[in-house]
Amino acid sequence: VLLLVYVGYVGLGAGVLQALERPAEVQAAEDLLQQHWELLSNHTCLGVPALQRLVEGIIQAYKSGITLQGNTTSLGRWDFSGSFFFSISAITTIGYGNLSPSTAAGRIFCIVFALFGIPLNLVLLNEIGQLMLLGVQHCAHHLEEVFHWQKKASLLIKTCALVTGLLLFLLLPPLLFSDKEGWSYEEGFYYSFITLSTIGFGDYVIGMNPDRTYPGWYKNVISLWILFGMAWLALVIKFCINFLE
Amino acid sequence: TAMCSDKLQTGLLVAGYFIYLLVGAAMFQALERTTEKQEKMAAAQMKETFLQNFTHLTVAEMEQFMKNLTEAIQNGVYPVGNESRIEDSNWDFSNSFFFAGTVVSTIGYGTLHPKTAGGQIFCVFFALFGIPLNIVFLHRVGKMLSLLCKKLGKFLHEKGMRKKKIEFLTLLFFLATGILVFLCLPSLFFQITEGWSYSEGIYFAFITLSTIGFGDYVVGKQPGRNYSSYYRMLVAIWILFGLAWIALLFNL
Repeated sequence: VLLLVYVGYVGLGAGVLQALERPAEVQAAEDLLQQHWELLSNHTCLGVPALQRLVEGIIQAYKSGITLQGNTTSLGRWDFSGSFFFSISAITTIGYGNLSPSTAAGRIFCIVFALFGIPLNLVLLNEIGQLMLLGVQHCAHHLEEVFHWQKKASLLIKTCALVTGLLLFLLLPPLLFSDKEGWSYEEGFYYSFITLSTIGFGDYVIGMNPDRTYPGWYKNVISLWILFGMAWLALVIKFCINFLE
Repeated sequence: TAMCSDKLQTGLLVAGYFIYLLVGAAMFQALERTTEKQEKMAAAQMKETFLQNFTHLTVAEMEQFMKNLTEAIQNGVYPVGNESRIEDSNWDFSNSFFFAGTVVSTIGYGTLHPKTAGGQIFCVFFALFGIPLNIVFLHRVGKMLSLLCKKLGKFLHEKGMRKKKIEFLTLLFFLATGILVFLCLPSLFFQITEGWSYSEGIYFAFITLSTIGFGDYVVGKQPGRNYSSYYRMLVAIWILFGLAWIALLFNL
């Protein structure tokens, strides 16, 4: 039930943000294109100030996620996919920033949305983490019954779970990314960690390359990976903290 | 002596935290600075060539130039302004320190990010140990603040107030003062120092303190403004206490 509420909440946010942000985005992209064409038609009469203005224009547009290349992927603009992904990045506090609200209404909505969404996200991650922990303990019990090990089983299971989590969430996904995104393994690993720890620089974001085709299941699998991966990493960090304190 | 060892522990934690950030800053600076310099020079060169030749360029060459320009900007190199900017580095010590802080607090603005493979790997391990350290640190600071709370509560209790009322009042007090000190007042401050509107300031404050950190607004990045060297430090202290306040709210 919690999962349904979560998905519903994110979907709601996506819809609202799309409605608020898409028109402004289209306008800004058109403005930049206009600037671009004006420059091209006048380039023999250019001077330093015009070039300065162009550079600043490109920088400004880039900060709002618009490039001169013109075409973007569905994750890179404010249609439903992009808004959905943005909503997730907001309430998980990853905050890539490849898309960020430029209208005042969008920003206010974003603040309120995050104010309730972040606790919701924390509750969900906690639930998932508890389920994972229960699963691991179940396995430990089973092993204890079947093989009659005692204390060793618990430690073995915990290390096994850690290693499986490591493989599943940090070591194997970079292979997928290197195939679908064309990143090197190291870049994929860096991206995975930065995302799951919710730092989320936004220097690497999945599904943003307009020259690549992404399969239909890609976005959904990545969203699941983010959710479970974050829950797993949160558990690991919790254990680290308990160890430190 | 229990109090003493507790205070000692806290002191060590605070010292350890800042040392960790300092070491991180130095490492990032060492790893990233040379690459950045090269990219800056390449972008400036490209701009120079353009300015010297543009009357002879074809439309196709112009398109290529603008593509290169866009790529440079996407890589974080902004060829705006005159050549003297080459010496300003995004990775000087104070910026690297600020960056290290955004990593361990998981804010992660992204306006500055490591581009060398070495920098990226170091970033991963720096965060792996830095994030728990940050959480423990904030937890400690939150605990100390909550002790203050309890003292205030005791004082009021002795004066004859009921427990429930005290709890409610302390919560309200911390919520209100926190919002004032960490959201409203800084936004006024940013209006002056950054030239943002008041609502932009509130948006920035919220996005930062919630650790979302989109990076669309970042302190100290407005072109053409002079920032005092203490500005960033002041903002970093604000972020630290703001985060501790949020941790405290969670505890209460």
